[in-house]
Amino acid sequence: MAKVSARVMLFATLRRKYGAKDLIVECNGTLPDLIENVSKILGESFIDEVYDKNRDRVKENIILMINGRNVRDMEKIEIRDGDAIAIFPPIAGGQPQRK
Amino acid sequence: MSKGYMGKILRADLSAGTLKIEPISEDVAKKYLGGKGYAVHLLYRYLKEYGSKGISPADINPLGPENVLIFSTGPGTGVPGFPCSGRYHVMALRSPLTGSIGSANSGGEWGPYLKFSGFDAVVVEGASEKPVYISIVEGEAELRDASALWGKNVFDTTRILKRKAGGKNTSVACIGPAGENSAYMACIVNDEHRAAGRTGLGAVMGSKRLKAVGVSGSEEVPIAEPEKFKEISERCLDSMRKNAVTGEGLPTYGTSILVNIINAAGGLPYKNWQTGVNPDAEKISGETLAEKYLINRRACWGCTIGCGRVTGVKSGPFQILSSEGPEYESVWALGSSTAVKELDAVVKANHYCDELGLDPISMGSTIAAAMELNERGYIPQEDLQGLDLRFGNAAALVESVWRTAYKTGFGKFLALGSKKLCEIYGHPELSMSVKGLEMPAYDPRAIKGIGLNYATSNRGGCHVTGYTVSPEVLGIPEKIDPLKPEGKAKWVKIFQDFTCVVNSTVNCLFTTFALTARDYAELLSAVTGWDLDEDEIMRIGERIYNLERVMVNKYGFNGKDDTLPSRLLKETMPEGPAKGQIVELEVMKDEYYKLRGWTDGAPTPEKLRELEIEI
Repeated sequence: MAKVSARVMLFATLRRKYGAKDLIVECNGTLPDLIENVSKILGESFIDEVYDKNRDRVKENIILMINGRNVRDMEKIEIRDGDAIAIFPPIAGGQPQRK
Repeated sequence: MSKGYMGKILRADLSAGTLKIEPISEDVAKKYLGGKGYAVHLLYRYLKEYGSKGISPADINPLGPENVLIFSTGPGTGVPGFPCSGRYHVMALRSPLTGSIGSANSGGEWGPYLKFSGFDAVVVEGASEKPVYISIVEGEAELRDASALWGKNVFDTTRILKRKAGGKNTSVACIGPAGENSAYMACIVNDEHRAAGRTGLGAVMGSKRLKAVGVSGSEEVPIAEPEKFKEISERCLDSMRKNAVTGEGLPTYGTSILVNIINAAGGLPYKNWQTGVNPDAEKISGETLAEKYLINRRACWGCTIGCGRVTGVKSGPFQILSSEGPEYESVWALGSSTAVKELDAVVKANHYCDELGLDPISMGSTIAAAMELNERGYIPQEDLQGLDLRFGNAAALVESVWRTAYKTGFGKFLALGSKKLCEIYGHPELSMSVKGLEMPAYDPRAIKGIGLNYATSNRGGCHVTGYTVSPEVLGIPEKIDPLKPEGKAKWVKIFQDFTCVVNSTVNCLFTTFALTARDYAELLSAVTGWDLDEDEIMRIGERIYNLERVMVNKYGFNGKDDTLPSRLLKETMPEGPAKGQIVELEVMKDEYYKLRGWTDGAPTPEKLRELEIEI
């Protein structure tokens, strides 16, 4: 796949934890590859920030948006050149609760 | 009397200068719980009584002695271990800002201390000729002269009265100059920085020449099953500690963490809702507030979250020694809607709102509306008297707040609220309000369910009435797509009914990020001795919402008023993740009315019978 360049923005406690706010990262157009490449800059633990134990699903209690759309609302997740990815840690989203 | 209640209501007739003590009705408490629910029930009785005397709802002057103001707590308030139960509710028969029912909720310490002073609620009728305040100390209530306090700001008033009362558990709820001067968005402030903010209840209090209600006491709230309550409470508090929002997010960043999130979703209204994307959101965000101006966090009575922010601005033209806030909606109204990107100016403007007793949401939104009116050339310069009201002007923002409180210069126009302001200048469509109450900080073109909630909220454009931002953006209790109108009605109804339960218990809405209706049923059952389950709790909430809606209808509001400003219905979002979107309100409304059992915005007789509401 062709390489694309995306902007990754970290918010709230992620900024202090990883010492970063705004990165330009290349990837092959898939989210797992993007996160893998971010972790090469910020450290391996970043993958577990975003993905669950098995590293195959985005954690339910973080907010990850691609161009303002939460990945949980998207049928197909792909990263295109120039996309903006915003990652909020589990401080603004919580465990699902029955109402 | 069931446990959880002190069993007494203080009724003050300020025209006659008398105070009476009346018992809480067990039957009413079982149907309406307390807090908001009990107050709605009482206010409806006033409406009926006035009707029998030939006074129609339209005849009730919101600033006249016939208006009624009620401060109320519920069976959860002030119970140690009842999660976040440091709150109280205030209602008025009629709001000067909207002409419909007035309703607001506040934190701090006043609610629990009212109960410790021996009372569940204070009902205020009539109007005094001279300024007075109500003092309740250890069960003894007095009407005292407040002439020396009239004109003083909230901070001085609070400190003087607290010193006078002495005692450990002492709290003061008061008005500042804004309420005394009948600014329509004046509010009631307790503990210096907590406010029953919306719908202009401070102006109602001012019209009665009631400067303050001071409470102090050491009674304990009785509990029916202390051992069972302890077990349930520990479980609930543990849930809250483990929840990401109540256990980490809110304590760490406060509510203003939402600025960057809502902006990223394309729903942060900017320049009076011309768009939902603010290019300067980062500058006024929770992250920036924490970095530059945060001194400490603060919790209300009995709260484990501690979302309050103690802030200060060390130097510069907007210097402040110590303040609290601003909250997310205040940052949005005073900052984003006005396009002011200097956060210290926003902190200062918010501080003035506390000092002078003004609702920052309505204040900021009204200033933003005036900025748009002025930029479009609709305001004659002689009316502005030199106030340079243009988007982004930080100095004009701060000046506008104190001018509004004192109704001086252009402030006398701002003090009317955005709806009347925009009507005066010939452009009512620029008031971003519903039923006269300015909408807070979420653009429904990007978050559709909150649009349905704004349109159908009983008190007007209000987010907390049914906070569907929670599932739509935050994913709690589950993630739903904010851009889809389908299926939103069910969520709006559930949130609206559950919020009535919380406002009648009375404790903090933020517990509901972690707690469920079943948790509330169990907590309340253990406190009161009743046997409630989650269905019955939600039914109580629905009952309260419907009786309140009956009153809203009586003020002449119906289906046509369950709407949104034309900007949101007809002007597509110009940019961002919601580009091209409008709010498909009619589709959502149809579904909502069906679920509610309403026709044209009014509960049907069958629905009222089903909910055992006698009108």
